[in-house]
Amino acid sequence: MGNNDVLRKRVDELAARVNGKVEEMIDTLVLTVQGAYITETLTAAKNFADVPCDFLHDIAGVDKVTHIEVVYQMTSLRGPQKLRVKAIVDREKPVIDSVTRIWAGANFMEREAYDMFGIQFTGHPNLKRIYMWDDFEGFPLRKDYVTEPVEVRNTMRVRRDDE
Amino acid sequence: MDVAKEKELREAEALMEKNVLLTSIDKLLNWGRGHSFWPVTFGLACCAIEMMAAGGPRVDISRFGYEVFRASPRHADVMIVAGTCTRKMAPLLRMIYDQMPEPKWVIAMGSCASAGGPFADSYSMLTGVDKIVPVDVYIPGCPPRPESLVYGLLQLQHKVNHPDKVRLLKHGK
Repeated sequence: MGNNDVLRKRVDELAARVNGKVEEMIDTLVLTVQGAYITETLTAAKNFADVPCDFLHDIAGVDKVTHIEVVYQMTSLRGPQKLRVKAIVDREKPVIDSVTRIWAGANFMEREAYDMFGIQFTGHPNLKRIYMWDDFEGFPLRKDYVTEPVEVRNTMRVRRDDE
Repeated sequence: MDVAKEKELREAEALMEKNVLLTSIDKLLNWGRGHSFWPVTFGLACCAIEMMAAGGPRVDISRFGYEVFRASPRHADVMIVAGTCTRKMAPLLRMIYDQMPEPKWVIAMGSCASAGGPFADSYSMLTGVDKIVPVDVYIPGCPPRPESLVYGLLQLQHKVNHPDKVRLLKHGK
């Protein structure tokens, strides 16, 4: 049985456990789950027998207007297996568990997702803005964000003392 | 302060200082300044690569005396803003400019520094550094070739050497 078949089997088993949906998109398995299951899903994916997806590439947010998706890209340094996990969260109150306990490197990626989409990661050690300044209002990559007019953007911001 | 107003005041002040004795010395000083700009590197994006290339052996700006790139604004008299200046960077850019000793000039290199470039409508962008500091020379291009930077510096040299000519071009007789 090839690497991909083993991975497919493991992901199917996992999907049955966490009530998820599996599809294949351009040679990558995509597992869609509800946000509440994310810690369980990613812990299991990291510890897959034979095909562990133990390297977290990236965390991204996607605004789908009806809901927000948090996308986790995973792979392994020891094999060709790739896995993408999408977690669905509510758009008005986007709250999801932080995965910094599983991968410490998720720290900055989650801060970026918070900065751009306002997704609250519970259990994150230092959840504040990373690209925009601290007193910036709104989440710029959301579909309903209205860019400030050019007159406002052209005025120089005054830095706070503690920055 | 309003940047356009600041630029005007700066020029008026330079004009006020001139009297018969100082004009000749000024000519000599300006000749020296124009032939040995010490740029403070303000590389913010891809334009910085072209600025480095301009310092390299192929397009060698030390031929003109501009190769002394300084990391400290206190040693420099030209600020080459090379790249995309975001709103988060703007207060820092102004701080660097304020730390430079007089007389000082600013070159906006590339379309981002001149007018915001392709990011002009973005949430994080300033439409040109001339909203923050008074700019003397704008260099178009995305990014401009090193030759353009050399040309821009030579235009600035011309401006420094012939303040009367620049005034005439700008305000008429």
